[in-house]
Amino acid sequence: MTGTAESVAFYARSWINRDRVAARRMIAPDAEIEWNLEAAVDDEELVQTLHRIAAFADSVTVVSTTCAGDRASLVYDCAAPFGTVRVAEFVTVAGGTLSEIRQVYDVVALRRYFPGLLDQD
Amino acid sequence: MSLPEVHLICGTRPQAVRLAPVAVAMREAGLVAPVLVAGGRYPAMVGQAFAAFGLAPDVTLRVERGAGSRPELRTEMIRRLDALWAERTPAAALVQGDTTTSLAGALAASWRRIPLVHLEAGLRSDDLGSSFPEEADRRLIAQVAALHLTPTPLAAMNLLDENIATGDVLITGNTVVDAALAVAARRLPFENTEVAAVRAAAAGRRLVVVAAHRRETWGAPLDRILAAVRRLVERYADIDVILPTHPNPAVRAQVHAGLGGVDRVTITGPLPYPDLSRLLSEAYLVLTDSADIQQEAPSFGVPALVLREVTEPAGSLRAGCARFVGSDTDVIVEHASALLDSRVRREAMTAGGNPYGDGLAARRAAQATAALLGLADHPDPMPALESHAAAYGASY
Repeated sequence: MTGTAESVAFYARSWINRDRVAARRMIAPDAEIEWNLEAAVDDEELVQTLHRIAAFADSVTVVSTTCAGDRASLVYDCAAPFGTVRVAEFVTVAGGTLSEIRQVYDVVALRRYFPGLLDQD
Repeated sequence: MSLPEVHLICGTRPQAVRLAPVAVAMREAGLVAPVLVAGGRYPAMVGQAFAAFGLAPDVTLRVERGAGSRPELRTEMIRRLDALWAERTPAAALVQGDTTTSLAGALAASWRRIPLVHLEAGLRSDDLGSSFPEEADRRLIAQVAALHLTPTPLAAMNLLDENIATGDVLITGNTVVDAALAVAARRLPFENTEVAAVRAAAAGRRLVVVAAHRRETWGAPLDRILAAVRRLVERYADIDVILPTHPNPAVRAQVHAGLGGVDRVTITGPLPYPDLSRLLSEAYLVLTDSADIQQEAPSFGVPALVLREVTEPAGSLRAGCARFVGSDTDVIVEHASALLDSRVRREAMTAGGNPYGDGLAARRAAQATAALLGLADHPDPMPALESHAAAYGASY
């Protein structure tokens, strides 16, 4: 496994297992983070949201990981009691931590199957 | 100066049929250079479909059959596209529909921040549970696309309901209609010799095309459909039936058991696209469970009786040019007889036009893609049908 693959695998495993400390440690302090949700996002908001998803979901599965140099693309299926939300994530790894994170959620399914997730403080 | 490239990603034969008219329209407009990228497990079949339009893939990304599961195939396609685009970055990428290749193309483009155009966007089953992952893939593609080209107004509404910006959505119509019209207009000789012989000997008999391929039709529903066809042939001496079967040996055997040796019934294997398009253009009536044929037939003024209990693209039903009859033998015979007995009734069904397209979808798609890149004005959407049934959504 390459350094990039190892880093993203550890990051994914951390948030899926609700280890907020480990997940946050994998995100560089000045990481560029964006997502397609309406709320603004920074590393803290990202980790909290991922934590809430992992806590509510019956299971979170990494269904595909593609690495190219220092970049990686992941697809997750987040299975909630009434349905599954698919999420794509694009990351860049620098020095063992994630320096760029871009998440694309199936927003319709997220609102339906993770009710209230986006409304919490 | 070379034109900006737009990469059209294609993994299946139906996708090739839909993308080919767009590539042709892009070439004719001369604003962008379309590059046909054939991927997936069966690039040779994709190439055959392109050949019907005088096209060939510019790039072939062969994925070994070892990449068996959907995620494996998707991962491999993303990897190959990313490698391609590292060397040859297009100005935009275009994907069609909701296949594994479509999602891979969408994600690979998004990964490199290449503007993505989604053709045949906005289709939804509204059944999130049973259709996972296709429905999820559709919605995820919608989230990363910069331009959404929809086949129908309903598909556009689906996207607006998901908070996609109005200015990013264009109703183009379905390019499958463009494809059928273009290929049928060439009136190529039938490749299938059996079909060619039957059509040459038609002697004025009316043609009924029966295409029941979907997996849920296999078994008892197919038996009921075949029984209906047999009764129709017995009742009407002036019809020929051509029935292209699914390649599955068990299905072929079932069809031959039900209709083999029946006079004026021709059973063939899967037909080349030009043959099927020409048959549709010459048909009096189509009985089908295929969404594609249901969408193509009205362009030739041919009504379709839909051999399904439920269907996704219900636009033709609202426009009146198709009717659900399911697989009940009596119901099929009753509705088919009504149309075979009355040409006026048959023509009334398609008088309102084809809700899936006016044959100009590809031109709109090409112009909209150029507009996305700042190379053209935004095209007007496909005009709405004037049929009252279409306007008011009457059901039949």
